[in-house]
Amino acid sequence: MTALRPPDGQPQTLTSRPAERDPGSFRDPGGFVYRRDGVLLRQVGASLAADWETFSSSDLAASLVREGRLIGWEKAPLELAATPEARAVIRPEPVEFISYPYEWTFGQLHDAALLTLDIELEALDAGWTLRDASAYNVQFRAGRPVLIDLLSFEPLEPGQPWVAYRQFCEQFLAPLALMARRDIRLSRLLRADIDGVPLDLATQLLPWRSRLNFGLLSHLYLHAAAQGRYAGNEDEGAAAKRTRIDPTRLRALVKSLRNCVAGLRWKPSGTEWAEYADNTSYSDLATAAKERLVGELVGRVEGPVVWDLGANTGRYSRIAADGGKRVLSFDIDPAAAERNYRSLRRDGRTDILPLVLDLANPSAGAGWAGRERRSLVDRANADATLSLALVHHLAISRNVPLPMFADLLADLAPAAIVEFVPKDDPMVRRLLAARRDVFPDYTLEGFRAAASTRFTIDVETPIEDSGRTLFLLRRTA
Amino acid sequence: MPHLVLAYIDPGSGSLIIQVVIASVIAIPVILRARIAQVARMFRRNEQASDATDDGPPAA
Repeated sequence: MTALRPPDGQPQTLTSRPAERDPGSFRDPGGFVYRRDGVLLRQVGASLAADWETFSSSDLAASLVREGRLIGWEKAPLELAATPEARAVIRPEPVEFISYPYEWTFGQLHDAALLTLDIELEALDAGWTLRDASAYNVQFRAGRPVLIDLLSFEPLEPGQPWVAYRQFCEQFLAPLALMARRDIRLSRLLRADIDGVPLDLATQLLPWRSRLNFGLLSHLYLHAAAQGRYAGNEDEGAAAKRTRIDPTRLRALVKSLRNCVAGLRWKPSGTEWAEYADNTSYSDLATAAKERLVGELVGRVEGPVVWDLGANTGRYSRIAADGGKRVLSFDIDPAAAERNYRSLRRDGRTDILPLVLDLANPSAGAGWAGRERRSLVDRANADATLSLALVHHLAISRNVPLPMFADLLADLAPAAIVEFVPKDDPMVRRLLAARRDVFPDYTLEGFRAAASTRFTIDVETPIEDSGRTLFLLRRTA
Repeated sequence: MPHLVLAYIDPGSGSLIIQVVIASVIAIPVILRARIAQVARMFRRNEQASDATDDGPPAA
């Protein structure tokens, strides 16, 4: 209990401050997440108390936590409950950064889907089942997916179908199939509908030949047809509730879903940026100088978290991470982010998390009251941002004035490392080639002035043999 | 329908019914394999049993 005391060590009763309910945790009436004195807690209501008691001491829970596939937890005193209905309070291990499925690469969504199904298969063998299969229940911790919803498990009653089958297909299978077989950019549908992709929409968008895949034919096409057939029919609904399925068949169903998901592949190439890192204007000399300077400036930043905005395949994210930082490695291009994710997994790195982000249109608040899923800016936890070879893409391709760029950086973190790319740089000339230059303020002097609206310039240094300039900015306002 | 008491998400009527249909088709080979293994085991047991009577020690 000592750990739950506020850090200032002042004598204080544990329940002195009110519980702040997590706006994203209301759908399951059995238990919700809240914070008290900054500590993440979850209370278990009467309907789930007995199941939680059994599950929390089960071998299944122990092995899933040991293998890092289920988030760990501690028991917390019942006095910390948010409401009198609580029967138990747990303190789940917090995840440093909450990311959402619409920010993941194909590989991340794929790994999260396989994790969910593998846990369901193990749960079935141990006499349990998942009550839900929401993609939002999976988070990335130390580079690997982990199930964070401790109350998702319920005892399997013989004959019970998989209640979460529909949710799994809408939140995982449909978007993965669309990304793999139609267009990688269809991951954006997850941002439009946080409950997942409606199956009838998915089947309309998929290429016709997807019907020839047995898994997709069953779990998407026939599934969508059945949904249409039984929708809104009260008698059929009552009949559906009485549906029974024996455990052998249920296991075969989940195994078939797993095979279907495992068979969905996507090769990250052919998008705008995938080959970009190999196609820059940098000389070897300039590259070496830039790597050294970035390492030095990152070393001057206090605090452990760096957001690399426009990371491409993560070359400089690795430099920041090698300097002891934990890095969120964002890129607009799903192929670049996917390549980043795959190479990080191959190298077993745990200190970098790649995510897909269009900085000119970052994730907004979504869901109920626009607060169920938080906006990206609202989740900012960075001690510094890294914007390398980025400013010209925003200022010129997206017409973002430099002071507005500085504003966003200042909203994200107290320090910013920015590479300024001048107009005579070959990459900028390429951006301006086919359009009128309406950017008279896009100059080194203009950048200094824009940065000074929110920052002081701590370091300004030219990058040898490149014509570019690297800045370390400290927020003032 | 006790198994739906704790389901807080809508499982969807069509989704419940279709999974039984799909699972029945998918499970045919699984169940067949299990049956064949069962029959094979039965034969083996019979064989062992008859072996035991053939080679067993003579009754006292």
